[in-house]
Amino acid sequence: MKLKTWMKSALAVGALMTLTSGAYAGGMLRYATVGEPPSLDQQVVTSDLATTIAHHMFEGLYTFNASNAPVPLLASGETVSADGKTIVISLREGVKFHNGQAMTSADVLASLKRWGEFGSRGSLIFDHVESVEATGDFEITMKLNEPFGPWKNLMAFINGGPAIYPASVMEGATKEPISPDNYIGTGPYKFNAWEANRYIELVRFDDYASPAGTADGYGGERVADFDTLRFIPVSDVGTRVAGLRAGDYDYAESIPGDLFAGLDADSSVKTMLNGGPIFGLVFLNSSDGPLKENFALRRAIQTAIDKTPALQVAIGPEGLWRANGSFAPEGSVWATTSGTENYSRGDAEAAKKMALEAGYDGQPIKFMVSTNYPFHYDSAIVYTKQLAQAGFNIDLQVYDWATLIEKRAQPDQWDLFFTHHCFVPDPILISVMNDNYPGWWATPEKKALKDRFTASSDPAERQEIWAEIQALIYEQVPTMKTGDVYTYNIASPKLNGLGEQTLIWPSFWNVSK
Amino acid sequence: MNAVNFLRATFKGRKLATVGFIWLCLIALAAIAAPLIAPFDPLEIDPVGRLAKPGWPNLFGTDHFGRDTFSRAIYGARMTVIIGMGSVIVALVAGGAVGMLSAYFTRLGHFLMRGVDVLMAFPALLMALVLITLLERSVYNTILVIGIVYATTTARILYGMTLKLKGEVFVDAAICSGAGHNSILFRHILPNLVSPLLVQASFIFAFAQLQAAALDFLGLGLPPEVPSWGNMLSEERIYITRAPWLLIYPGMLIVLSVFSMNLVGDALRDSIDPRFKDDIAGV
Amino acid sequence: MLAYSIKRLLTLIPTLLAASILVFLFVHLIPGDPAAILLGDTATPEEVAQLSAEMGFDRSLWVQYMLWLGNVLQGDLGTSIFFREPVLSVIGNGAETSILLATMTMVWIIIIGLPIGILSATKHGTWMDQLTSSGAMLAASIPTFWLGLYLIMIFSVYLGWFPSSGFPSLSDEGGLSNLRYLLLPSLTLAAPNAALIVRLVRASMLDVAREDHVRTARAKGLHPSRVAIKHIFRNALISVAAAFGFTFAALISEAVVTETVFSLPGIGRLVVQSILRRDYPVIQGVILIIVVLYMVINLLVDLAYARLDPRVSLK
Repeated sequence: MKLKTWMKSALAVGALMTLTSGAYAGGMLRYATVGEPPSLDQQVVTSDLATTIAHHMFEGLYTFNASNAPVPLLASGETVSADGKTIVISLREGVKFHNGQAMTSADVLASLKRWGEFGSRGSLIFDHVESVEATGDFEITMKLNEPFGPWKNLMAFINGGPAIYPASVMEGATKEPISPDNYIGTGPYKFNAWEANRYIELVRFDDYASPAGTADGYGGERVADFDTLRFIPVSDVGTRVAGLRAGDYDYAESIPGDLFAGLDADSSVKTMLNGGPIFGLVFLNSSDGPLKENFALRRAIQTAIDKTPALQVAIGPEGLWRANGSFAPEGSVWATTSGTENYSRGDAEAAKKMALEAGYDGQPIKFMVSTNYPFHYDSAIVYTKQLAQAGFNIDLQVYDWATLIEKRAQPDQWDLFFTHHCFVPDPILISVMNDNYPGWWATPEKKALKDRFTASSDPAERQEIWAEIQALIYEQVPTMKTGDVYTYNIASPKLNGLGEQTLIWPSFWNVSK
Repeated sequence: MNAVNFLRATFKGRKLATVGFIWLCLIALAAIAAPLIAPFDPLEIDPVGRLAKPGWPNLFGTDHFGRDTFSRAIYGARMTVIIGMGSVIVALVAGGAVGMLSAYFTRLGHFLMRGVDVLMAFPALLMALVLITLLERSVYNTILVIGIVYATTTARILYGMTLKLKGEVFVDAAICSGAGHNSILFRHILPNLVSPLLVQASFIFAFAQLQAAALDFLGLGLPPEVPSWGNMLSEERIYITRAPWLLIYPGMLIVLSVFSMNLVGDALRDSIDPRFKDDIAGV
Repeated sequence: MLAYSIKRLLTLIPTLLAASILVFLFVHLIPGDPAAILLGDTATPEEVAQLSAEMGFDRSLWVQYMLWLGNVLQGDLGTSIFFREPVLSVIGNGAETSILLATMTMVWIIIIGLPIGILSATKHGTWMDQLTSSGAMLAASIPTFWLGLYLIMIFSVYLGWFPSSGFPSLSDEGGLSNLRYLLLPSLTLAAPNAALIVRLVRASMLDVAREDHVRTARAKGLHPSRVAIKHIFRNALISVAAAFGFTFAALISEAVVTETVFSLPGIGRLVVQSILRRDYPVIQGVILIIVVLYMVINLLVDLAYARLDPRVSLK
C-alpha cells in the first residue's frame, strides 16, 4: 500500500515539476545551521547566522565583489564632491519589493534614517552626517560634517548594515527588530515562513530585478535557481556532519577543524573554506578593575601568552589557522606587522617581571568564557595555564553565552572576556574601534588616530594610519587577537555554482542542485 | 550480623552480581587512590600529542587537548563516586526524613506529601536543567540537583514503608512502654528501614550517573574542567569517527558501572525483608 | 465512586496552584536578562532597560505572577520573547514531534518490553529468565545519548537505512512515511524504558502468581499459558498500565537528550534552547503543561485503580 502511494506522489511531483520548472533548476536547498537567529532584521542585528539567511532577502545600496571591494547593488552609481563632504547616490530604477511596490528614494531615505539612528553600525557613519535627503525619485544626497573615507565599505556591509526596506515598514521602526510579517526586501528570495524551532523558509521572488554584469563575489547578476531555501537548526555539530553525509542536508555550516582531514578526503562531501577568516579576541576592561588604566599590566598579560598551542588545541590542523598578529588576515590590503612583535611572546619570566613593575600584587583577575563556542573555551583553558605560569591569579568563569552577554555589559563583573569576530573588509568595522563596545576603550590617542582614519579617502594613506592604530592596540592592549581561523562548511557534491571558497557568508543565488 | 556474612548471603549463587560488586570495589579503589595510580596529570595539556591512539604510554589514547584519557578515566571514577554518594546522601536524608516523618506524624504528613506530589509532577530532567541554570555549574550544585530529583521518590517510598511499620506490633509495644517519639523513630523504626534504604541507595547511585551524564551532555552538568566520564563523552563527541576511543572507553565505563550498581541493588533487594519488596520496584 | 472522583478533583486544584507558583519562581530566578540578549551586543543599558520595561520585567515578581496566572486561566500562556509568537503556538509546533516520538517509543516499549517481561516471568528461575533480566538491566544502564550517537553512525551514515536527524512534519511532503525520521530516536528512547518495563512486568506477574486466585486456577487444572495470560497477566496489567501512563508523561521530558542528538524539533529541545535564551514565557509554559499533564494522568490512574481493583481502599 505504501509503495503505491509513494509512486503516485512521485509521479505527481514529477509532473508538477516539468510544468513549472521553466528556466530554473528548482528544488529545495536544505541548509543545516548552528541554531536560530534572534531576528532577520539586518539593520539592528549583527548575528552572522541572521545574515547568512537574510542576505538572500534584503539588499543594500552596495555590496562586495570577490576582491572585497564595494560595488553598486541597489545603487547605480555615485558622485562625491571634491571636498568629500557631499555624496550623491543614484538608485537603480525598476527594482521591486517583495510586496510588488516599486523601490524609490523615499524607501531608501526611510531605511537610511532608521539605520542611522538605531542600526547596529549606523552610528559609525551617521555620527559624521549632517543631513540626508531624497533629491529626486531615484537620487539620494548625503551631506557629511567632514570627509569620511570608509563610507562605501560601511554601506556595503549588510550585517548590521543599511538594508533597504519599504518606507511603510520603516515608519515607526525603532531599535527593536521588525517582525516577520514585515520582512519585505528586494532580494532574489522572499520570506515565506518561520516555523519556530523547525526551520526558516524563503522562496524565489519571481519579479526580482537582478543587477547587470557577470557575477563577481556578491556583485553582478543574481539568479534564484532554487525554488525554496530552507534553513534548519541543527545545534549538535556531530548531527550536522552525519546528516550531510547521510544526504539529509545539502549544506552544513561551522564544522570543527579536527574533522577537516577526514571530510576533505571523503568524496561524498565537499569542504568549503571561508575565504575571510574569523579571529578570536580577548577583551580587557578599560572601564573598571585592575586593568582599567594600567597599560603596563595589560602588556604583561599579553607577554605571558603564546598563541600557538591554543590554536593547535582549539582548531586542529595547521592549514586551518594562522598565528597572525595582524588584525587583517594575510592577503588583505590592511595586513600590517606593526606592533606584532608583541603578539605571541609567551615569555612567562618577562611577563612576571613586567607585572611586578606594573604593581600587580596577586589579586584575582576575572576571565569570562562561554561553553557555547568550543574554540573559545579550549583557547581560554590554554591561556589560563600560561598566565598562571607567569604568576597571574586568574579566576576563570565559565558561563553559557546568554549569561556572559549579560555580565559583560556590567564593568564591575569582569576583567577579561573571550569572544570572536567575523571577517570585515574595513578595520573601522572591528568591534574594538567602537567606544561603546564592552571593554570601552576610548583613550585620546585612539580618538585622534580614529578621526584621521575616517577623515581620509585615500587608500594608501588610510592603510598607513591603520598601521599606527594597530601599533597603539599593541601598546594599550584594549584587546588581544588570538589568531586567524579559517572555518569551513561542508556541502553536498551535487551543488553546482558554489565556487571554491565562501566570501564571508554563504550565498545560494547562482547555485543549483 | 557481620559484614562478611552479610555479603556472602546477599551474593550467594549470583555470579553476575558478585562480578558487579568486585567492579564497584575497583572503581572505589581507583577513586581513592587516583593520584597514586594515574600515570599522568589529567589536566595536563599537550598540543603536540593530541588525539593519539591508545597504546603506550597513553593506554586509552589522548583527547583533543592532548590529555591522557586513562588518567582522566581514573579521576573520572572519583567523580562517579562523589556524585553517586552525594546524590544518595541528599536524597536519603531529605527524602527519607520527609517520608518517615510524614508517615509518623500523619497530619503534618498529609501536608508534606502533598508537597512531594507537586514536586514529583515536575519532569526530573527539566527541573535539573532549570535548577542548574539558577545555581551555576559546580560539583556541589550537580549533586544537589540530582539529589533533589530522587528525594521525591525516596520520600514516597519511605512514607509507604514507615506506614506499614507503624502498624506493627513492636511499635505499639514501644508506645505502651512509654517510649518517646525520638526513641521510637530512631531505635525502632529506622533500623528496620536500613536494608530497604540500602537498596534504594544503590539504585539512586546508578541512576544518578545517567542523570549526571545527560546533564554533562547538554552542557549543564559538572563544570567542563572537572574530569568525569560524562564530561569526557560530551567534550569529545564530535570525534566519534576521528578518534573513536575517546567515546568508547568512557561510555563503556559508565555502562559497566551503572550495570554493576543495578546488579548489586537487585541482589540486595532480594535479600531484604519481603515486606518491603513491593515498595521498591526500582527508582 | 463519584464522591471519590470529586474529592480527588478538588484536591487537584491547590496542588496545581502550588505547582504554578513553583514554576514561576524557578524560572524567574534564573540570572540573565532576555531583553539584553535580544538586543545584542551594541545595545546601551538605557535601551535594554526600555525594552525590559515594555516587556513588564520591571514590575514586582508577585505582580508578574498574578498577571501570568490570570492569562493562563484564560488560555493565554503569553508570548515567546525570542519568537515573538504566542507561547501556545510555539509549543504547538513542537507538540507534534514530541507526541509522535513518545507514542512510537511507547509502541516499541510495549512490543519489546511486554513479551520479554511475560516470558521472563513464566520462565522464572531458568537461564532464559536470567538472560532476559540481566539483558534488560544492561539496556537500562546505557546512556541514551551514547546509544543515539552510535545508532546514527551505524544506521544513517554507514548503512544509509534511516535519516540521521530532523523531522519534517507529517503534513509536509512524504506524509506518513516521514515517521521513519522518528525510528532511530524512538528506539534510542525505548531501550532503557523497555528494560524497566520488562522488570516491572516480571515483578508484577511474579507477585500476582503468588496470590490465591492463581493457585486456585492452577489447582483447577487449567493450562499453564491460560493461567499466565488470563489470570496473572490481566491482574498485573493494572500496575503495568499505571506505569505506562507515567512513562508517557515522563518521556516527553526525558526526550530532551534524544531530541538534541537527533535534532528533533520537539518540546524537550525547545525547553533547553529557551533556557539558554532566557525565554521565560516558553519555559514556564512547557513546564506548566507537563506538570498539569502529569497530574491529570496521576488522577486518571488513581481513578482507574479505584474502578478496576475493588480491593483498593479509598482513603
